[in-house]
Amino acid sequence: MSKGFRQSQAFLHTWSGLLLGWILFLVFVAGTIAFWREGLNRWTRPEIARVEQPMRVLAGSQAFLAKKAPDAKSWIIPVATERSPGAQLFWVPQPKPGEERGRGRRGGRGRGDTQVLIGADGQVVQARETRGGEFFYRFHFDLHYMPVIWARWLVGFATMMMLVAIMSGIVTYKKIFRDFFTLRRAKGQRSWLDGHNATAVLALPFHLMITYTGLVTLMAMLMPWAVVANYTDQNIVFAKLFPTAAVVERTGRPAPLIDLRRIAADAERRLGAPASFIEVSDPGDAAARVSVSQSANSMLSSRTPRLTYDGVSGRLVWRSPPPGAAAETAGAMIGLHAGRFAGDGGRWLYFLCGIAGTVMVASGLVLWTVKRRERLPDPTRPHFGFRLVERLNVAVIGGFPLGIACFFWANRLLPVMLRGRADWEMHALFIAWALAAVAAFVVRPARVWPALFAATGVLLVALPVYDLVATDRGLFASLAIGDLMIAGIDATMAVFGFAFLWLARRVARHRPAAKRVRKAPAVITARVLEPAE
Amino acid sequence: MTAGDAHARARWARRGDIGLRIVAAVPLAYATASLWAMAIARLLPGDRAEASVTAALIALALCAVAAMWAFAARSGWRAIWTLGVAAAVAAAITWVSIDVTGRV
Repeated sequence: MSKGFRQSQAFLHTWSGLLLGWILFLVFVAGTIAFWREGLNRWTRPEIARVEQPMRVLAGSQAFLAKKAPDAKSWIIPVATERSPGAQLFWVPQPKPGEERGRGRRGGRGRGDTQVLIGADGQVVQARETRGGEFFYRFHFDLHYMPVIWARWLVGFATMMMLVAIMSGIVTYKKIFRDFFTLRRAKGQRSWLDGHNATAVLALPFHLMITYTGLVTLMAMLMPWAVVANYTDQNIVFAKLFPTAAVVERTGRPAPLIDLRRIAADAERRLGAPASFIEVSDPGDAAARVSVSQSANSMLSSRTPRLTYDGVSGRLVWRSPPPGAAAETAGAMIGLHAGRFAGDGGRWLYFLCGIAGTVMVASGLVLWTVKRRERLPDPTRPHFGFRLVERLNVAVIGGFPLGIACFFWANRLLPVMLRGRADWEMHALFIAWALAAVAAFVVRPARVWPALFAATGVLLVALPVYDLVATDRGLFASLAIGDLMIAGIDATMAVFGFAFLWLARRVARHRPAAKRVRKAPAVITARVLEPAE
Repeated sequence: MTAGDAHARARWARRGDIGLRIVAAVPLAYATASLWAMAIARLLPGDRAEASVTAALIALALCAVAAMWAFAARSGWRAIWTLGVAAAVAAAITWVSIDVTGRV
């Protein structure tokens, strides 16, 4: 490999990593947390009971919908599991005469009036309004406060740059295998580089996989041209890749809907795996159809098989054909990205790799400043670009985790009757983050870093304590009933809280030293001013 | 010409070169990858939907490689014209292929 090639790739790695690093940090943090999406959906509603009999929830869902929306165009009922808070079901009303059919995306936000959560006892749950773990899942690719399509292009672009940064990073890092286990502590720039390399190389297969498969999840938007080349109408190819049973016209003749538990049991027997979604079209009509898809938790590919039944007789009328090799490959990649197939052990592995990715991005961003500070003409008065990067690092790396801690606290403390409560939980995150960003730009970084880390640490450590005292789903209560998911989330928050406190202490401890050597040569000042090493 | 002038000129030349590479690495790399997505989707035999999915999967990786090439090429201009030629070849393949067999 020529020296020039490596240098050009080092340049590319540095700048593509820097310019999109802040977005990638957000995406990594939210994506990592989203691996516990189902658990957080329950943790954020401590008042609800754990689902022990999923079929009871299903029966309750059907009873509720039969009363509430007997004439709906369709019902969508997720099959509850022991991991889920219940069944977050929704229905699509019959289009009014003259209104276009099937307008608007199903299941989108702002459908509060056509969705409810059915709990473990089969009744409508009266729980606090929250987005729970769904927030992190959505934020991971939709961000917030901006049109979804812009967010996805932005995230897609950042992901492509991430792939470029990883590949050029591999080229740049020549001693990739020799330095594999090198971690020089308390050595300034060298330590940051080692930390960046260790988190990058250790989880390198994961980073490559998660980045490329992330692009595949957005492929239809990012790379529609392969379809355009072969099809005049994109709908043809979507109908082919995601086949559904033939649509039957509503007859207008009423007929009772079969017990959905019977359909679910039959589908699970035929599929040999749990069912996840049940969609009923034209319930109560003689032409009713019930479609059941296999749970994504039971298989790698996200292209889950579907069965469609006659909703009156319960006869199987259609089953999805097996996907082609390419569609199956793309589906498997999306499945690999989301990790739904993974059990608890697998989720932990995903979670730890996600943390490694987060640390890789964060240390890379900090490394940019550490490296340049030593070369500044006057380290006490850096130029504008340097200060901007330095402050943005504090605002994003220090501020976003604080915002997340505030999200969890808002979930616990906001009044249950507050209007738009779920929105205010999210506003709390962004308000706290905005305040942190203001602090980052007003106060010296050496003071803000430890303050933000300490605040995040205290908030996170206090959460499980609050749960212990103020809810009946505290750590010990959860352990006593064997609810390891909720206990695990409480414990993980405490661990993260202590980690942030440790980080804050390490960063803060360098301050007196910085003052002492203020007039020392630039190199030393630079090292001691930096946060944790 | 003074040394200062030469220095300033070298700096602007470097900036111009990086500007060209960014054009090559972002819009041009995407355009090239997209055109190759179309060409590969046309060239692959068998089921059309399958060919399209395979081509899109390949093109995503091609886009990253093209961006790397934009910075690995000896100069910014070289990055631009090499990617331009690659894009033109893919466009020609796609155009001829659609002209001959049409789309679904």
